[in-house]
Amino acid sequence: MITKLENGRIYDPINKINGKIKDLFIKNGKIIDRPKRNEKISKIINFKKKIIMAGGIDIHSHIAGGKVNLARLLLPEEHRKYLYSSSNILRSGSGLGTCSSFHIGYKYAKLGYTAVFEPAVLPSNSRSAIIEMSDIPLIDKGTYTVLGNDDFLLKLIQKKSNQKKINDYVAWIIQSTKSLGIKIVNPGGINAFKFNQRELDLDEKNKKYNITPRSILKVLTKSLIDLKAPHPIHVHGCNLGVPGNVKTTLKQINAVEGMPMHLTHIQYHSYNNEGDKKFSSGASFLAEKINKNKNITCDVGQIMFAQTVTASADTMSQYRNHHFAHPKKWICADIECDAGCGIVPFEYQDKNFVNSLQWAIGLELFLLIKDPWRIYLTTDHPNGAAFTAYPKIIKLLMDRSFRNNEFAKINKQAQKSSILSNLKREYNLYDIAILTRAGPAKVLGLKNTGHLGVNANANITVYSEIEDKEKMFENPYMVIKDGEIVVKNGKIQKVLNGKFYTAQVDYDKNIEKEISIYFEKYLGRNFENFKIQNQELWDHGIETENIHCDRNDY
Amino acid sequence: MKNITFTCPFCSLLCDDIQLEAKNNNLKLLNSKCPILINSLKRKINEQFSRINGQKTNITEAINNLSSLLKKSKSTLFTGMGTDIKGTKATLKIADKFKCIIDHFSGDSYVKNIKSVQEVGGFFLTLSELKNRSDTIIIIQSSGDELPRLFEKYIFSKETINNLKKRKVVFIGNKLPKFIYKNKKKLHFDHIKLNSISLLNFISSLRNSINSEISEIKDKKIVHLLKLLKQTNYGSILWSMKELDNNISDLIVTEINLLIQDLNKFTRFAGLSLSGSDHILTVNEVLLWQTGFPIRTSFEKGFPVHDIDQFSTKRLIDEKEIELVIWINSFNEKKIIINKKIKTVLIGIPTHPQKKDVDIFIPVGTPGLDHNSHLLRIDKVVSLPLKKIRNISLPSVDYVLNKVGQI
Repeated sequence: MITKLENGRIYDPINKINGKIKDLFIKNGKIIDRPKRNEKISKIINFKKKIIMAGGIDIHSHIAGGKVNLARLLLPEEHRKYLYSSSNILRSGSGLGTCSSFHIGYKYAKLGYTAVFEPAVLPSNSRSAIIEMSDIPLIDKGTYTVLGNDDFLLKLIQKKSNQKKINDYVAWIIQSTKSLGIKIVNPGGINAFKFNQRELDLDEKNKKYNITPRSILKVLTKSLIDLKAPHPIHVHGCNLGVPGNVKTTLKQINAVEGMPMHLTHIQYHSYNNEGDKKFSSGASFLAEKINKNKNITCDVGQIMFAQTVTASADTMSQYRNHHFAHPKKWICADIECDAGCGIVPFEYQDKNFVNSLQWAIGLELFLLIKDPWRIYLTTDHPNGAAFTAYPKIIKLLMDRSFRNNEFAKINKQAQKSSILSNLKREYNLYDIAILTRAGPAKVLGLKNTGHLGVNANANITVYSEIEDKEKMFENPYMVIKDGEIVVKNGKIQKVLNGKFYTAQVDYDKNIEKEISIYFEKYLGRNFENFKIQNQELWDHGIETENIHCDRNDY
Repeated sequence: MKNITFTCPFCSLLCDDIQLEAKNNNLKLLNSKCPILINSLKRKINEQFSRINGQKTNITEAINNLSSLLKKSKSTLFTGMGTDIKGTKATLKIADKFKCIIDHFSGDSYVKNIKSVQEVGGFFLTLSELKNRSDTIIIIQSSGDELPRLFEKYIFSKETINNLKKRKVVFIGNKLPKFIYKNKKKLHFDHIKLNSISLLNFISSLRNSINSEISEIKDKKIVHLLKLLKQTNYGSILWSMKELDNNISDLIVTEINLLIQDLNKFTRFAGLSLSGSDHILTVNEVLLWQTGFPIRTSFEKGFPVHDIDQFSTKRLIDEKEIELVIWINSFNEKKIIINKKIKTVLIGIPTHPQKKDVDIFIPVGTPGLDHNSHLLRIDKVVSLPLKKIRNISLPSVDYVLNKVGQI
């Protein structure tokens, strides 16, 4: 069956199509060039005056895993505020920031997103997190496994193990936990907190292992390059949220010596400590550094003014921030010699100096980092805001007068401390298509999605042309997933399961001997049970798509 | 005859170092003295008929009858919920469609844990953190009966990442459990004897004293313990909800959670609730991710409504607020409540002693014996894959419920 989408205005940056009116053809869930002579077109959809982009890709959104479930447990009041009824095709559910699984899928689909990546899955929690994600319909998914605080790796680094051995361990972790990549969270800091260290800067030593975050960052960054992994190291750096941390973030960029690195939620790592309140924007310093260092990609972690909940593997930072909990309750956990987690509910207020400046810093970064291919739209959902805030953020980026009106509402002192109102840049639709689909696809090494070229999966979002960009992006006219219409006029038409992306990587099996001894001796578990088997995923209806580790552009 | 490495589904430790000898579906335990496992493997399945009103029938008939009861019922409770991830998913799919309520065997005690976390949060740890890092362990009123190998595997073990030598263990509570008494010499051991009411006051005073100068505190027991807590490098507090006075257990646990949070101002501390019987933690996790709420959630209004008092199994049955109760238990023979005025269904193991007393009985296998399965461990972080090792044609809970939902 072939479907023709005609007369739509197409924004497809990977194929360098910038607003051209062009027909698209879909066959068996894929985009084809055009039907063969003897092939019949069975359906034609006219998209005159419509804008067409590939389905959105969220590179960093906390949608599953133990920390999200702990947040759900902690906050029944948030779930009682947002209740969703079941229907013939939809399940019931609740919540916004820690929305229940089915509705995460429904909400993303309704926003025109077709792929979302859970960025912080601890090795020991991978199996249940993936099973949980099998209950998030309509979107493709994948995970990054958290390393850099696990006792096994720190011991390897302490013993000055060679890079090949580290690579084997990293590859074993990727393969065993069925992830797409590796994330570092506060390198060595979460482990140091287990030994009662309360801070750990880039060159400070972990008490137990006597190694620095710099050394962890370097070996793991190198490891993913050596493995030709689809996505370079995904880094949540040291000192999240600490005034003055931009200096550390700049040093981190130097530390990787030109190797590709993705810095996540940089808004939280762009703080300077100048002024009366010892809190100021470091956005211009970081933007300048990123503009110069082409090896760096980033996502922003924009905050928006609302009640939300912060959920992170960074126990050290979350414990430090628990004093700001709103409402006054919080959870932390030390987890399985892997890392940890912390849940702190938080209300960002536009009357508050720090929160206002955080909001402005995020936008400054969006506008000061020049290359849209190296910066991606995230709120670090739900930490900065729920992902449902994306349309408003897009409007803030595309419409300077709206941005300046919003800027005029924030804390006055924060206004004085920010250059935001002087920044004239406005994103256009082509830039937005890069920021929300083409860029993330490229940095994640996904070749079959994020664009509308031949052989791409037919993941397509169709918007009505509306002047108000928030309205335009919050309510796509139609969303097509793998060739099927799943959303029309804001209503879900059909529920199907997305794919699960995993990286396929080889390693020297000798590493398993050492790991199995470690598992049995210290973790009290059979290491064979740690490895997630394909059959387990299939049993839960998960269809995997393997991405081979053959990236050759590092 | 063959030897199998087996992951045990009968408590929330999910020990995966068990060796069994399997011969014609008979399983002989080779390397463990765990009483729960020994008793579970002793059950001999002589017949595995479905039953309607106590009379033998086939499974198709029983499933058809259950489906009719479910369609007719204006208010249905799923409880017991001794099942795995897939069984819980299947239950929730039906509960959402037919607007039912969900509770669990351990609801009465576990909701007190839930209530405390919903109020103040907490600071928790997993089993390997307990094993490898915890140099001081405070055990509050726990016999360990429901987790027989906890101490052997995670507290008495000598091989630890932190090279822990002799751990300090303080037992606070009324009756010293046998396992601690027997192994006292392996530990630096102390016992603070208190009943439930005194326990609440003691933990509360301890917490209030944390910020005081030791010289200002009069109670010697508190001074002694406070000194120990503050000298600790990494401490843990373990408690067993079921063994605390149910009238004040939520208050006690809240004080424990606050105490742990406060102790982290000085040193490192974390806690672990010794709960999880009949895999309430697995059931609760699936409920949380699929609905946003823990157990004791109703779908009667078309969306989830969570209330830890209103949706208690005992209350709903006593007050006859439901027309149909469906008990699920694929692990053991735990007694169920039968009220003759309420239609009662049991989806349980074939040896269940009450199978003739209910309106419909549907036999099911046990996860990890009769079918592949996933369960979550006591710390809610680690999940284990369990593999079918016996072939006696017993369906799983999710198979039965998916069939019921399809009719």
